Amino acid sequence: MVFTSLNFLLFFPLLAIVYYITPGKFRWITLLVASYFFYINIKPAFALLVSGVTLSTYIFTRLIDKAGTESGKKTLMVINIVLILLPLFFFKYFAVINNGILSLLDSYKVRWPLSEIKLLLPVGISFYTFMAIGYTIDVSNEEIKSEKNIGIVALFLSFFPLILSGPIERANNMLPQFKKQVELDFALITQGIKLMLWGYFMKLVVADRIGIYVDAVYGNITQHNGTSLVVASMLYSIQLYADFGGYSLIAIGIAKILGIDVMQNFKRPFFATSMSEFWRRWHISLISWLTDYVYTPLSFTFRRFKVWGIVIAIMITFLISGIWHGAGLTFIIWGLIQGTFLSIEALTNKGRTSFQTKHNLNKRIWYIALSCLFTFVLFSASMVFGRAKDLNDALMVYSKIFSGIIHIPYRDGYTMLYSFIGFTILILKEFRDEYYPAHFLLFDNKNVIIRWLSYYAVIFMILYFGVFGQEKFIYFQY
Amino acid sequence: MEEKSIMPELEQVFRKVFNNESLIISRGMSSNDVDGWNSLNHMILVSEVEKAFSIKLKLKDLNKMHNVGDMIDIILSKL
Repeated sequence: MVFTSLNFLLFFPLLAIVYYITPGKFRWITLLVASYFFYINIKPAFALLVSGVTLSTYIFTRLIDKAGTESGKKTLMVINIVLILLPLFFFKYFAVINNGILSLLDSYKVRWPLSEIKLLLPVGISFYTFMAIGYTIDVSNEEIKSEKNIGIVALFLSFFPLILSGPIERANNMLPQFKKQVELDFALITQGIKLMLWGYFMKLVVADRIGIYVDAVYGNITQHNGTSLVVASMLYSIQLYADFGGYSLIAIGIAKILGIDVMQNFKRPFFATSMSEFWRRWHISLISWLTDYVYTPLSFTFRRFKVWGIVIAIMITFLISGIWHGAGLTFIIWGLIQGTFLSIEALTNKGRTSFQTKHNLNKRIWYIALSCLFTFVLFSASMVFGRAKDLNDALMVYSKIFSGIIHIPYRDGYTMLYSFIGFTILILKEFRDEYYPAHFLLFDNKNVIIRWLSYYAVIFMILYFGVFGQEKFIYFQY
Repeated sequence: MEEKSIMPELEQVFRKVFNNESLIISRGMSSNDVDGWNSLNHMILVSEVEKAFSIKLKLKDLNKMHNVGDMIDIILSKL
């Protein structure tokens, strides 16, 4: 039951009605039951895992609070982190380790051929595991008190708008919201619906349409020329943003309708003028999580090495980010590429800043536009490793691109036209939000006719240009 | 030790790290108010503060540092 399914469009309004009928202090129970119902409907066994992670996190955070010494708190924190990471490692990396051992056995000819076990990655495991780890560390660092009510902890880790792909929320934002009585607020509900509507536009009109082109090219790399691969690689960045950004807006909108405020996950990433700025705008919840729980402790440990300590911390952080995204070599390389980009920026930070200030470049439109374009190209080039199915495919993409891109690209008239229309509307809205946030308002226009016309226009575009029947989001695989 | 006595030295550290000789710090000042005060330079700032005041900070102290005022309080508690 994903957000784009018909089942969800029936489930959610019904839930919202039951939720607001429920007396205020019991609303969290309605949400908890709904969240487990939602997750059980994907696969019942997966709900056992999230409840296991919840139980372990609840017990250990309570024990951490009661521990008298700092070392006692740290020990309990480490035990819980190891325990809840075990299922994540098992499901995510089992296949890679399994295949590695089998090929080793093969090479020594000691393989005993038995039927293969195929494991399905429990949807959302990477997301709720990170939320549980963050909560455990926060309690251990005495930044928040452990929650006494196991139901609230269970809701935090299973909250259905976020469980499939985040945003990776923090306990200090969510626990107090689940505990307080949510009042029915029509302004919030309207805001939530607008966010959902735009999220559906991004997903169904932009992402899934572009996806048709990208899948056609990346699904058959050998048959496509360098130009097609350049176009598909650039389009994949846009597809990924519209897919995950759209999903995030739907999730944030659903939560808002239920009176719960969830953090922003994307902030117009294609208007970033450097890679470090890009990573402050892209998958914000993951990057801020990694910054707080991985990068900061590491850079603090290595601080005596000055800027080189920062470089080490960045490289390790993005290596972890790569591994989090997938077990394959392609994601490790992807993470190291991002780390390298940011390290180069860290090392050249002082020189670049003074050069830009001296020539007043940050205020020149051509410089900003070129910087945005350069950042986009860098990110798209690195995403070849995120999209290609394995290392051989990724290397083939690069070799084809560098062996010549002066060819006529693969053409798919309707897909390209609809993709172009969708993307143009998306980028114009983002341009307005970035540079003229109080102008040319549509969804938030004071004039009721303009407002409603814009709602209908977006609904019409979703129905007319949207791609239906996909019922999956790219980030479900992580 | 009092706040007034550490301010000039702390200001010197800020000026050196952020490469701005005219920078004047105040308690309410945060990363939003200083050009270049990002997560990269923050750790260099922390390291320079430790060196200038001969103190050793903990990661826990870092989590409490939200502005210059927090930083002053933490430095004073270590002196």
